[in-house]
Amino acid sequence: MEQARNYVCTECASAVPSGHKFCGACGGPVPAEAQTLETQFFGALQMPGKARLIVVRGDEAMGEGLSYLLQATEHVAGREADQIPFPSDNWLSPTHANFLYRGEKLVVRDEGSLNGVYIRVRGTSPIRIGDHFMCGQQLFRIDATPKDSSGPEPDQTYFYSSPRRPSAFRVTQILDGGMDGIVCCALEQTVEIGREDCDINFPDDVYMSPRHAKVEMSGEALKLIDENSQNGTYVRIRGERELGHGDYLFLGRNLLRVEVTA
Amino acid sequence: MIVCSRCSKENQDHYKFCLGCGAELPRGPSASEPEALLASSAGGERTTDAPSAMGGASSALASASKLEVDPIAVAPARAEPVAVADPLPPELAPLTDQTSPCSHCGAQVPENFRFCHVCGHDLHAEGPLGSGAEVPEERVSAPAVNNAPEAVTERARLILIQPDGSEGESFPLAAGRTLIGRSTGGIFASDAYLSPEHAEFRFEGDQLVVKDMESLNGVYIRIDPEVPIELFDGSVFRVGQEILRFEAPVAPDPAPDGTQHAGSPHRGFVGRISLVIGRTATGNSYPIPPHGIHLGRERGDVLFPEDGYVSGLHCRIHSEVGHVFLTDVGSSNGTFVRVSNESFVPQGTFVLMGQQLFRAEY
Repeated sequence: MEQARNYVCTECASAVPSGHKFCGACGGPVPAEAQTLETQFFGALQMPGKARLIVVRGDEAMGEGLSYLLQATEHVAGREADQIPFPSDNWLSPTHANFLYRGEKLVVRDEGSLNGVYIRVRGTSPIRIGDHFMCGQQLFRIDATPKDSSGPEPDQTYFYSSPRRPSAFRVTQILDGGMDGIVCCALEQTVEIGREDCDINFPDDVYMSPRHAKVEMSGEALKLIDENSQNGTYVRIRGERELGHGDYLFLGRNLLRVEVTA
Repeated sequence: MIVCSRCSKENQDHYKFCLGCGAELPRGPSASEPEALLASSAGGERTTDAPSAMGGASSALASASKLEVDPIAVAPARAEPVAVADPLPPELAPLTDQTSPCSHCGAQVPENFRFCHVCGHDLHAEGPLGSGAEVPEERVSAPAVNNAPEAVTERARLILIQPDGSEGESFPLAAGRTLIGRSTGGIFASDAYLSPEHAEFRFEGDQLVVKDMESLNGVYIRIDPEVPIELFDGSVFRVGQEILRFEAPVAPDPAPDGTQHAGSPHRGFVGRISLVIGRTATGNSYPIPPHGIHLGRERGDVLFPEDGYVSGLHCRIHSEVGHVFLTDVGSSNGTFVRVSNESFVPQGTFVLMGQQLFRAEY
């Protein structure tokens, strides 16, 4: 006893090879679902080139572990967005970021948000004066050392300042609410951030590694170096940035992971 | 409770100055105690509790030794702090190239030294015979500083505290107004950090008052140890060689669309202190949490490891009922607060103007 190897006509019980629309023996029609023999994906998830976003750490209203399939060409995320909403995170602008495809590539574009989009640094990232970055729960900005003339006043009085040391740049902590917090001027060429024994220390930040990251000036260029921290160092993107499988992003308080099937 | 006679604010009994206006408060029977502290701390000027501080002591807090140095040369030299790790003994610190031989042992002694660094001979103790030329010139000419040439009724004196902690010449303050500044000549003329018209002293009743004549670098008064002084937005104070400014917290408004500014989590700050490194420039800054911070060379939350004039633990800043206070915790060289417009100068107070440190006696 064995199974028929083809579709069997319901009218005359003859075998009908795949691809035939009518039975060759009796002319009876073959149903449409029996004709499409191309293998389908279980879900759009497995469509090649399409990506999804997984909410690794999200706000309470939306929960964690949510994922968003990026099947359209553009996907807007924000506090009042329809596609990728984060309604309870007031660090997100109403329209915050857009995930869109440029050809085969997925990119994220900052839609002029107040607080920006941060991407995890893989090893080392170039960085510029005015850029923002995150380590643990801490947010920072890189500033230039202020220029101040050392000459006397018109009446020939000199300004008495604290002893100054040459400093190429400085790192400013930004506090929740937008105030400036700790300011640390680079001594020599680096500012190191961590939980202890660094230039800026956060003993209370449980997401900070002991030595987390450093900003380094080499020549004229600044580099942001993640020192193999457990939770990573994130830099704010300017404009738009191409995304790849395994990238991590911060939008407000939400941490997202990008998955792309090649 | 002491009610301020000037602004009617109620102050706690142990406060020496009014929280509202800064006026000195009338003292109770225990008033002699803080003065005893101050008097003993005058001796403390000679050293800090840091052994390494001695290395920098010759470029003292009040660098009276630079009197004859050209101002142009002073400014860049001032910009670099004396490293604590500097192995040079104080007598070799590059303060002045001018030396004169010690009358006792013949060693070449920098002119700003009171004692010979080789044999310890007290150079000031020498009589005019044979050593008149060795006495630094500015000391000889010092009486000319008296800017009221006619016979004045001296009511008070400013006594110069020299870099080694000893007392130098004194300047009479008349019963009326006495202006001090670079334009008033003498020792003040060569201090490039004094404005031409820097400060004015006068008497109000029994109290000496100093008024900052909108000078560039201000007038600083040493605060008594363990007596809290209120800080306001923009208050400037000095520990060791460091000028610090207190700033009240200012948060930007949220965006019109309701988005909050993101940032590092915190439990609130009562303000922050910033290192003043220029007319408009500040260097490192630290926010002050409600429970306060300590400042010191080696201990505390904010450290100045390279400033030998800062004591191991120097002062603290804390908040009480919405106000922020600065308290010296017994530092050797003191904590100085910049006078805002004018201030009483109690007897025995140390006053810092330009590069010079004085003690007011009356």
